[in-house]
Amino acid sequence: MTSECLLCSASTSASGEEGEKKEQRGLVELCIEAATARSENVNKWRRQRRTLERLPSHLADAIIRRLLHRRLLFPTLLEVFRHSVEEVNLRGESCVDAEWMAYLGAFRHLHSLNIADCKNINNNALWPLSGLNSLKELNISRCSKITDSGIKHLLSIANLEKLSLSETGLTSDGVMLLTSLTNLHVLDLGGIPVTDKALCSMQVLTQLEYLDLWGSDISNIGAATLIKFLNLSFLNLAWTKVTRLPNLPSISCLNMSNCTIDSIFDGDHIAAAPLLKLIVTGANFVDSDKVLSKLQAHFLTFLDLSFSIIDNWNFLVNMEHLEHLDLRYSQITDILIEKVALSWENLRYLNLSNTLITSRALSVLAGCIPNLRYLILSYTSVDDASLAYISLTTSLRVVDLSHTAIRGFTGAGPEDSDRTLSFGAFQNLVHLKSLNLEDTKLVDGTLRPLSLIKSLECLYLKSDFLTDDSLHALASLQNLRLVSFRGAMLTDNGLLSYVPPRMLSTLDLRGCWLLSSDAILSFCKTHGRIDVRHEHVRVSSPDQNVSCSSSPFSATSANLSRHRMVKSPKASISKSSFVDERIKYSTEELLQLEHSFLSSCPPKDLQILPDILRRI
Amino acid sequence: MKKEDTVKLISSEGFEFVVDKTAAMVSHTIRNMLTSPGSFSETQHGEVTFPEISTLILEKICQYFYWHLQYASGKETEFHIEPEITLELMMAANYLHT
Repeated sequence: MTSECLLCSASTSASGEEGEKKEQRGLVELCIEAATARSENVNKWRRQRRTLERLPSHLADAIIRRLLHRRLLFPTLLEVFRHSVEEVNLRGESCVDAEWMAYLGAFRHLHSLNIADCKNINNNALWPLSGLNSLKELNISRCSKITDSGIKHLLSIANLEKLSLSETGLTSDGVMLLTSLTNLHVLDLGGIPVTDKALCSMQVLTQLEYLDLWGSDISNIGAATLIKFLNLSFLNLAWTKVTRLPNLPSISCLNMSNCTIDSIFDGDHIAAAPLLKLIVTGANFVDSDKVLSKLQAHFLTFLDLSFSIIDNWNFLVNMEHLEHLDLRYSQITDILIEKVALSWENLRYLNLSNTLITSRALSVLAGCIPNLRYLILSYTSVDDASLAYISLTTSLRVVDLSHTAIRGFTGAGPEDSDRTLSFGAFQNLVHLKSLNLEDTKLVDGTLRPLSLIKSLECLYLKSDFLTDDSLHALASLQNLRLVSFRGAMLTDNGLLSYVPPRMLSTLDLRGCWLLSSDAILSFCKTHGRIDVRHEHVRVSSPDQNVSCSSSPFSATSANLSRHRMVKSPKASISKSSFVDERIKYSTEELLQLEHSFLSSCPPKDLQILPDILRRI
Repeated sequence: MKKEDTVKLISSEGFEFVVDKTAAMVSHTIRNMLTSPGSFSETQHGEVTFPEISTLILEKICQYFYWHLQYASGKETEFHIEPEITLELMMAANYLHT
């Protein structure tokens, strides 16, 4: 699942940005922008109390979100929103403390509050929430200072429907207190040592639909009581001692990762709702055939068997509704694929990375997966022979072939005439958006057929053998938004004569060690909209806020960080994600650095700094 | 300018703004009022009254209509909003679906 997200994120985020640029923003959006542009603007409107009272909640929510993003939100400002805001998400904001909570407790219409990962939230900080009857959703996951006594403040919020408490300091006694919250639909207790006794006492929570108990102390005894939860549709028992799960007819999504599984849905399974999603990553099956074939999982759409040990794969034959199949690090082989592959018409995602499959498996799969979107084959021994088979699945959007034996051509001859460029077949993939070929055996000249995949938006390459020619061969791909050309023999001239496609927003050149900083600087100047990644480029994202800027030269912290730098230049370099190992200072250079700092140079004048520091 | 091509937008204080129909149509709310079938008085007289919107805000909204058309035709300028009126304007824009 995560790998899928990672893969899509590049393309979706890119398309999102682009949509924003093209689409004209409405007046509401312009107003929110103007209202939150700087703190002076905020001061102009924060006293308009009567207007603020009338503010529709979705506008108020949007303003709060933007203020937070701009680092303009502080506790006393929260007060002006107390009549309007319904949803607050402060996730991961370490500044959030008891003072913030005191103001949030006065929000009369607060419906949903997310303060997950807020490290400064303690038991007392939760007190203002007690009796806040509008609140329906609360997330305090990973607020590790919260213990059983903090939970007592929440027990008076009678309408609470969703509560996330994972990885807090709660004990089993605290969990037993939750029984008074009878409206709970969703309860996340991940990482809390919930005992069988506590689970048993929770039977009164009859509304529960979603129960997360990963990492708890539940055993088979506790699992047996789960049948009392008649509405339960999602259950997570990962990392528990549960080996036998009773027949739970309402479950549609089950996670038993990293468990030793003896049986799932023991006895005659009469399902009220069909099991749709099964995640058994890293599970150890006592008898995988017995467990999985008894499951009657005809309707299963999502199956994650990664890292698990399975000796008999016959159960797969019945699963014709699968949409997502994850077999990473499993013992699937070409022969097994031949046995179980059937017409997976609905399959959208298939992950076979780190398995023993070869190109032969692809020849079997070619006709079985007509609607596949994502195909992950990284860290396998597939080679160029597979490309022709892959290209038969024309619906593919994302293909990952990194760390494989792909060379880009077939035929053994050293001469060009003996070679057939294997990527020619990929021109059939008219929907392909992302292609990952990192750490393959690609050589120059083999990438030319890629320029026929006009739909391509993200291309990842990493090879010691690629040179300027390969980068230039891609110039005709006009839809490319992201090009990763890492560790290649790219020269200054090659980079400067490269005409990037119109839509390109990211160019990753990390590890291209031949490039000089001057060449990269000049490329960045000519193509300002492109985010170039290289060891010579200081990392800074455009939407980064001033307050969390990592730049050691931001006006406020200039003095401090310079002081640090004089002491240990290398340490500070690695901090600002500067990983060029080749830079070494000589003693003379260090002395020179020290001298230049001691001479009182004006803080903002970077020109005086020695060359070596100016680049950071 | 023909009368049919314009609409009269009336503020809470009774101040009247006569704007091009195409400009006023930038607002989905106004567009629905003017184009909806049936005999709404708005459709017949080409007049819309906004008892909730003050003259100052309605003027700014009319400016936005024209700025929007210009922007859509490729003239990329900035639309300046005074911080004092952002909240009122935001609520009016929200109501008008612009």
